[in-house]
Amino acid sequence: SEMSKDMLPGPYPRTPEERAAAAKKYNMRVEDYQPYPDDGLGYGDYPMLPNKSQYERDPWYQWDQPDMRHNWGEPMHWDFDMYIRNRVDTSPTVVPWHTMSKHFLLFLSIMLIMFGLGEIYPSYRPVGPKQYPFNDLYLERGGDPNKKPPAVIHYEI
Amino acid sequence: MGAHLGRRYLWDAEAEPDPLHMPSFPAQLGMPARQPRVMVASASQLADARVPLEQRDFCGHHLLRLLRCQRDNFPVPWGCHALRHAWDSCQHQDYVMRMKEFERERRLRLRQQRLRRR
Repeated sequence: SEMSKDMLPGPYPRTPEERAAAAKKYNMRVEDYQPYPDDGLGYGDYPMLPNKSQYERDPWYQWDQPDMRHNWGEPMHWDFDMYIRNRVDTSPTVVPWHTMSKHFLLFLSIMLIMFGLGEIYPSYRPVGPKQYPFNDLYLERGGDPNKKPPAVIHYEI
Repeated sequence: MGAHLGRRYLWDAEAEPDPLHMPSFPAQLGMPARQPRVMVASASQLADARVPLEQRDFCGHHLLRLLRCQRDNFPVPWGCHALRHAWDSCQHQDYVMRMKEFERERRLRLRQQRLRRR
């Protein structure tokens, strides 16, 4: 589909007439039309729409394109291809963010404190250490066969 | 089971044995007729059987007999119950000895405290 030159995005609108013409070009009302701030990033007169993903749009409304939840001629977001339903989803969480973060941090801190306490005050059975023969398995544990191992004798009790 | 832990961490750590530094008293103190433990299997036999180091303890001879019986009876798992019981009871006696060591250490520590207080 060939588009004429005046249908493409243009430079940043400076006068109210340019703003009205740009709003008409993008099928928007003049009150709704809000271009990106002119800070040299190259958006031009493209409208700044809210950063909401297509997930947040009504699933039961009869959209022209149901999978994209988009109507014909509706102004598309600059990052529309990012906000499709297969990609980024900006839907609000079921539980408020501060509740979620509080619960998570509480759980994490309690677990870390308990593990730390377990390291400082370890738990053990009321038994002595296990006794091994041959000088506590000196040779089997990699001791030097030329050196004399420290004598360890275990007694019956 | 937590009584010794409570005594160690909340009460008096001097009177409770520290399992990392045991035994802290001479072996013959109070028990002059102690016999050293006898190791029946030899180190080379255990090494030939490739027994893991944790199992090369004073019950190694029972374990060797059990492994040999299991190897002979494979794949039937029910042929070595008697030898298994012998090894298990040897391990149990070993554990009971460890408990007795712990208790001896504890009593000697209490005695040491009493002597210091006198």
